[in-house]
Amino acid sequence: MKLRNDFLQELQANLGQTNCKVVVADGPRILKCQIQQCDPLAVAITQLALETSELASVDIAKLQSASQSLCQRVNYLLEPISPIETDADGCVVQMRSSPPQKNDTGRFYYELLLRRGGSVSLCRYEKQAGTSRQRVPATLTHEVLGRLAEDFNATVAEILGN
Amino acid sequence: MFLNIERDQRRFKQIVRGRIRENLRKYITHGEMIGRRGKDAVSIPVPQLDIPRFRFGKNGSGGVGQGEGEVGQPIGKPGDDPGGSGGAGSEPGSGHLMEVEVTLEELAKMLGNELELPRIEPKGTANITAEKAKYNSIRQTGPESLRHFKRTYLNALRRQISTNTYQPDDPYIVPIKSDKQYRSWNDVPKPQVNAVVIYVMDVSGSMTDDQKEIVRTEAFWIDTWLASQYQGLETRYIIHDAMAKEVDEHTFYHTRESGGTRISSAYKVCAKLISESFPVDDWNIYCFQFSDGDNWGDDNQQAFDLLSEKLLPATNLFCYGQVESPYGSGDFIEALRKQYSEHDTLILSEIPDKEGIYDSIRTFLGKGK
Repeated sequence: MKLRNDFLQELQANLGQTNCKVVVADGPRILKCQIQQCDPLAVAITQLALETSELASVDIAKLQSASQSLCQRVNYLLEPISPIETDADGCVVQMRSSPPQKNDTGRFYYELLLRRGGSVSLCRYEKQAGTSRQRVPATLTHEVLGRLAEDFNATVAEILGN
Repeated sequence: MFLNIERDQRRFKQIVRGRIRENLRKYITHGEMIGRRGKDAVSIPVPQLDIPRFRFGKNGSGGVGQGEGEVGQPIGKPGDDPGGSGGAGSEPGSGHLMEVEVTLEELAKMLGNELELPRIEPKGTANITAEKAKYNSIRQTGPESLRHFKRTYLNALRRQISTNTYQPDDPYIVPIKSDKQYRSWNDVPKPQVNAVVIYVMDVSGSMTDDQKEIVRTEAFWIDTWLASQYQGLETRYIIHDAMAKEVDEHTFYHTRESGGTRISSAYKVCAKLISESFPVDDWNIYCFQFSDGDNWGDDNQQAFDLLSEKLLPATNLFCYGQVESPYGSGDFIEALRKQYSEHDTLILSEIPDKEGIYDSIRTFLGKGK
């Protein structure tokens, strides 16, 4: 809860700012948010990541199990999130919007990565035909960002608790 | 004697083949329409062929110069009848389908004509020989099914003449056991150009069943074409996510893993398979790889090293087909383009959907290698 509150306070402190980075910490857990634009109602972010050294030695089974819980928790992004691929060698679980959002210009999806080492991160991508995928800003309300921070924190706690 | 039925049958077959040729693009892109029938033939549903026939009118419904009208009165048009009722039907038309069997050889010929595929020039010196049975000799023993009728009766006639038992007025010839002659075979060594097709498919979590269906359809047509070009065509299958393994055909098409994508793992297994089982000098080796191109970032360089050192020098063609996943087409094909822009045995093709299969096959097989 501390991490979430600190994060929301920092967002308030950065209202009106563009292209800035917010970093808050709670012990070994560090929440980093790359902001493109911070408005009073919503924030356009290019990445939100919770980094911690506590996940240095977890195994892939724990990450997989935690990714399932994370996908169930993060049900407020308007796109359901599901685990897509697991890289046992690199010890990474990849989750994405399933299905991705489509419009005339291309496809958009959230991608969450849960890594041993470790981190939980969220980015949004756009894929247009004939080009590589591009990271695009995800516009989320302060409330949603607060929930994401809390859910990332809960995921780390779940992995360590298992 | 020439029977009319044979001519009719031949004409019927021509019509059927014509229908298949007309709709070949549809059959190529919708692989589910084609069912296997044994090893050498497939069954293809074609729309019911209407046989021309007389249509009779109603008896006693009048004819020229009959009816109630006066001379010079215009005839009504269809639909003018004020008492008519009913509109267009809501049921679909009765477009019955009839399944016809076509040999794979014939299908390959149609494919070749449709896509204007050049015939393949095999590499190597055809130094593999296969024993082939040829019926070119006669023996005294054998199964009755191989009995040589003419020779047997000639022997019997000779014997009857030489023993004075043949009566020209009553010319019965009855062969006995020692008269019987049977066809027999010899094994003839025949030079053979052998080919192996290695299919590699990404079965990671991002490859859905739709993408696999595209791969299955495309592989069927590639197999059909290559089998028509080579006598001894072998097929091997490799699947991979972050790990790769060689599997059988059923597993190849029906496995879905959730692992990450490491294309280099498949290249490693492929290179090992070639080095252990298919000497490069004796075999025409074809690799067809299908993936959504979502390779995990750090793996590309490792994959390129294997491709450059082990696979491209060993294969006639290395074809990479990138099928589009729900998340779009990945970046691997672009990385390949940048890395191997001048390599003419590496063929790249993007397959956005089923309709893309047609062009992809032409891209892959249009080189005649």
